[in-house]
Amino acid sequence: MIDFSFSPAQQELREQAKAFTEEWVAPNAARHDRTGEFPKEICREAFRRGFMNTSVPKEYGGRGLAVLDHCLVTEEICTGCSGIGTAIDGNGLSQAPVILAGTHEQKTRFLAPMTEELMFSAYAVTEPEAGSDVARVKTTATKVGSDYVLNGVKWWITNGSVASWYFVLARVEDRQTGFVVPADSAGIVRGPKEVNLGQHASNTVRVTFEDVKVPEAFRLGAEGDGFKIAMETFNHTRPGIAAGANGITKAALNIALSYAKRRRTFDKKLISNQGISFKLAEMMTKLDAARFLAYKAAWLIDSGVDNAREASEAKWFASDVAMEAAIACAQILGGYGYTNEMPAEKLIRDAKIYQIYEGASEIQKMIVVAKLMRTKVVE
Amino acid sequence: MDIAGRAVQPFKRRAYGRTFVCPVCHLELAFADVDGNGLAVCPVCGAVISLEAPYGHAVPVVVDMEIHRAQPKLRLHPMASHLPVGLFPVACLGAGVLLVASLLAPAAWPTALIERATLLVLALAVFLSPLTIAAGVSDWRRRYGGRPYRIIRLKLAFSACFVVLGGLAVALHASGAVFSPATGLIAAASPLGVLAAVAYFATLAVNLVVVGTLGHVGGNLVFGR
Repeated sequence: MIDFSFSPAQQELREQAKAFTEEWVAPNAARHDRTGEFPKEICREAFRRGFMNTSVPKEYGGRGLAVLDHCLVTEEICTGCSGIGTAIDGNGLSQAPVILAGTHEQKTRFLAPMTEELMFSAYAVTEPEAGSDVARVKTTATKVGSDYVLNGVKWWITNGSVASWYFVLARVEDRQTGFVVPADSAGIVRGPKEVNLGQHASNTVRVTFEDVKVPEAFRLGAEGDGFKIAMETFNHTRPGIAAGANGITKAALNIALSYAKRRRTFDKKLISNQGISFKLAEMMTKLDAARFLAYKAAWLIDSGVDNAREASEAKWFASDVAMEAAIACAQILGGYGYTNEMPAEKLIRDAKIYQIYEGASEIQKMIVVAKLMRTKVVE
Repeated sequence: MDIAGRAVQPFKRRAYGRTFVCPVCHLELAFADVDGNGLAVCPVCGAVISLEAPYGHAVPVVVDMEIHRAQPKLRLHPMASHLPVGLFPVACLGAGVLLVASLLAPAAWPTALIERATLLVLALAVFLSPLTIAAGVSDWRRRYGGRPYRIIRLKLAFSACFVVLGGLAVALHASGAVFSPATGLIAAASPLGVLAAVAYFATLAVNLVVVGTLGHVGGNLVFGR
């Protein structure tokens, strides 16, 4: 039996997120895009309305939302601005390893305070020479007495400047191990904000660890569990990334539709031209397809079923659709699509990162192929 | 964003509400400038803009251009507006010189003459401004069809503020409570004189910001952003 409808609670959640987006996110999108200012006040409002830390379990003060519910919120917020959406949702990526592999003490210490006041955390895995290939991370964690001493450079860390703690993947000898590292630990140096192509509201920095002491109690799981935790995290977060990309597609579609219905060319409305209307039809259809992939990947993981293939499918497909839709939107707007006074060009810049972060599209396809190689017949 | 921009932002938000940008001349217009038909006419470039905000994104679409606009007959406002905008800072400069002279007491300065000249320039700046305002209102009716743009309302509010504060400054100055008519220096001997001087200089300072804003807003209205 298949049911594609949202429950009343999910519908209400979507409407709340939409209202927040229309009031707080979209009106401030251009300003944060131009200034690169971190949207702390918008995050504060998101926190107040319960749109941050959505995955933190109820016993630690969070909402304990399912991945599917989180997707619905993310899609709405990213329709307003995916840069601000990334700033709001950045906590989710770093919280997931703690939720998945943390002890009760670790969850109480690191997750619970985040539900009481506005705080940020960051997922510090990527390194200058280890991006998609997570197994190449070089950061070391050396056991000294009851502590570990971390040394290494983490790169392109979202929310890195504002985080109160980091999830860090480091090598204990040859075993990749996950740690939760408080940001006020001695020896942590945060770099300047990187100037990226898009998502300017998002804070992306380099974080350097120089002889940073981390107590054994802050290690997640056993030594050598880190890679597995990091990968398992992505199964939970990639549907959300797909939902963020779908938000961009939805924004592109709405903007293009609104424009095409009002702009006149050759004595008729722009939308009356087949070349334009077919673009809109393709955007709508692909958005539906991308949504269903994202929702299915989320529903699988919420049901306790392995979703590695579906999460990868959703992420790369939604990313490509977002990129296509943003370009189509700019094309429909013509010259107005190329100026930064209109929202279309920002969508192109913002969409690109979805094909890159949390595993580039090529990595997603490798995951799908790896699953296929273990499949005799696709049913 | 620069420091001045940050400081002005909350006031601007309160005065304008949500804004969008004219896609042709980049003038910042208020959502409130859109009429019941969902249209706004840019006062600078004449673009007739249809506005929708799907998901909160302002999507202005240019549906027409008002090319043949009524021009002001006498072009009085552009000339008249430079009288208060130009004279008021000169009056402030004169008052500043008198303040410095009062603090340093240099005997050789013709302070009595400066005091009279300052009062004259200040009075000209303030009492000519109603003429400027009237010319502006006339232009607004003729050129912009009397449309209630937020930017025009802001100008009118600031103009009224300028006249009131300017009138207060002239009254304080002319009363002789601030500067001694004989020497042109601040009457620092009496506490009332000091109090009047503080009020006078505070009024001038606030009004300098007001007249600067008026000039800036007026410039935006002529040249766009």
